[in-house]
Amino acid sequence: MADSIITGIPVATGIAIGKAFFVNRSHAANLPRQTVAARLVGDEIDRLHDAFKTVVQELAAIREQMPEELKSHGSLIDTHLMMLKDPKLSGAAEEYIKSLGLNAAWALEKAVADQEQAFGAISDPYIRERMQDVRVVADKVQTKLMGVEVDMTAISGRAIIMAHDLTPADTVELQADKIMAFATVRGGKTSHTGIMARSLAIPALVGVEKLEEKVKDGDLVVLDGLTGRIVVNPSEDELEEYNERAALFETYSRKIKRQCHLPAETFDGSRVEVLANIELVEEVAAVLDNGGEGVGLYRTEYAYLNRKELPTEDELADKYIDLASIMSPRKVVYRTLDLGSDKYIASFGELNEANPAMGLRAIRFCLKNPQLFKVQLRAILRASAYGNVSLMFPMISGVKEVRQAKAWLAQAKAELRREGVDYDPDMPVGTMIELPAAVMIAEYLAHEVDFFSIGTNDLIQYSLGVDRTNSHVSYLYQPLHPATLRSIKLVVDAAHQAGIEVSLCGEVASDPYCVPILLGMGIDSISMTPQAIPGIKRIIRQTNMHDCRKLLRDVLECRTVSRINNLVMDNIFKHFPEEVTFFSSLLENDELPT
Amino acid sequence: MTEESTTGSEGGEYLSRKVIVATENGLHARPAGKLAQEAQAFQADISLVCDDQEADAKSILDILTLAAGPGNVVELRASGVDAEAALERLEQLFANKLEG
Repeated sequence: MADSIITGIPVATGIAIGKAFFVNRSHAANLPRQTVAARLVGDEIDRLHDAFKTVVQELAAIREQMPEELKSHGSLIDTHLMMLKDPKLSGAAEEYIKSLGLNAAWALEKAVADQEQAFGAISDPYIRERMQDVRVVADKVQTKLMGVEVDMTAISGRAIIMAHDLTPADTVELQADKIMAFATVRGGKTSHTGIMARSLAIPALVGVEKLEEKVKDGDLVVLDGLTGRIVVNPSEDELEEYNERAALFETYSRKIKRQCHLPAETFDGSRVEVLANIELVEEVAAVLDNGGEGVGLYRTEYAYLNRKELPTEDELADKYIDLASIMSPRKVVYRTLDLGSDKYIASFGELNEANPAMGLRAIRFCLKNPQLFKVQLRAILRASAYGNVSLMFPMISGVKEVRQAKAWLAQAKAELRREGVDYDPDMPVGTMIELPAAVMIAEYLAHEVDFFSIGTNDLIQYSLGVDRTNSHVSYLYQPLHPATLRSIKLVVDAAHQAGIEVSLCGEVASDPYCVPILLGMGIDSISMTPQAIPGIKRIIRQTNMHDCRKLLRDVLECRTVSRINNLVMDNIFKHFPEEVTFFSSLLENDELPT
Repeated sequence: MTEESTTGSEGGEYLSRKVIVATENGLHARPAGKLAQEAQAFQADISLVCDDQEADAKSILDILTLAAGPGNVVELRASGVDAEAALERLEQLFANKLEG
């Protein structure tokens, strides 16, 4: 048995086996806390300033040697340098050594705590987050003071880099050819670590909370970027098993990647469009690399977050036009602003709603703030002149909402026409189906729009009444609940009855177990994270529409989720025994709490 | 903009000018760093005042915690041998949206 198995959020897929190598740790928890004799206070102050000076010199040298492709991160290093030179940090630490006789590392920790308090009071989330930068530079100085420094150039072969957090400066110093994987305590799905790992094509996990506690330098670890697991000091058997798994995965991913540009067509000749969900224009490279046939969901929130002022129409149009023209003639579906709930715009502030998931968000927020809405509609319309652009509204609950949203769109068109600005007058307009109410009236909504896009993540949560991030009830988040399946089927049928297309853009679309059922329903396109496309395309290319329809019929007769899951899994085990070990599925959630 | 010589509350004389924050996101990390860097080139004591809060213009951390937003009016205060030159330079910097 392994010493321990810990988990994190996978941000880059693959399996790596190697020696743990810590490049930076947060020192706050295990800082030496001593007092210094009065006669040594002067020396301790010198030690503090020397440590600051060394870190400044090292960082300045890194800044100097930064390769061209990472230059955009230069300004972050400049910020770190200014913080290191800031008397408010080093000077405050010096004061603590002088007045309280603390050792340098502890004194610096107190200076950091003072800053934490100052930053904590700021309402601008962007500025508040800069506290993380203060933490990063303080950690670097404390590393020097404690003499626990790691020589990154000493990394030998097959290293799995572990860190509290990885900064762009850290990644510049690392030698890419010797690194097998990354794991960090901090960070979310969109962190720098994930971007780095994907560009190096190595697996990575972030948010591994117990990393510093459970893993020691030099431990043999298996990092599974498919399941999000880190196995610490595995047994002989486990090691052999993972070695085999890694080799198989390697072969498998090479094979599916080679075939990813082939169309997603079943044995018996049915075509499904396989599209990508993206958030940044930069992701188009990944879309095209992975065989994406277009963008089925462009989330437009990013441009509105972490800033004080709203983006201007020109700023948005620049981005939107870039995306439309790079992807042209492939389709790009722009979803209008889906803010509120968990994400909100700084200039509007938090809404303080008791229940934000049912609050003023998405289309509701836009209809309440038509000026903001129209700026975005105009920018999307302008992009429509440059490519194959569609637009869709999120969180629609009724016919009136769609009509209101379309009225603003018509007004934006009229304005542009008067101003002589080009746009595509026939740009398709769709609505997302995320609310049970929208499902029930899909028949009516279908007459208002050109296409549907089913957002299953929200639809499942709203119809089952389950917040999947709430660990008390997350076991009830069941993508293949009979209610979910009937909802999807109802929407697909209503769309086809009215002669419009229907797409699906939730995580279900990239779940290999669920895809055959979606095919059976006759869905026209599915949209998913770019990295999932090759695997899903392969599944589609190896199935028969006839079998999918049969599976769907069987599944629709089941009364319980476990029966459905069993049927679906049997189907996959039967047809894809080879791949099955590499799938991570939403269905594995199916266990009752004890 | 306006320039005046005032006696500060602690009795010291300082020069003062008012400027407007014209950067898109206010005094965020990059402009704050630029400002602190330029201010450090002068011997004078320089501070920024915004909404009754005062920050040391040579400290990026102080400037950040001022959280001055776009369109905010900030008063620059300087005292010391090169106070005049410092204000001149910093005013220009604000006019150039803290870019050059």
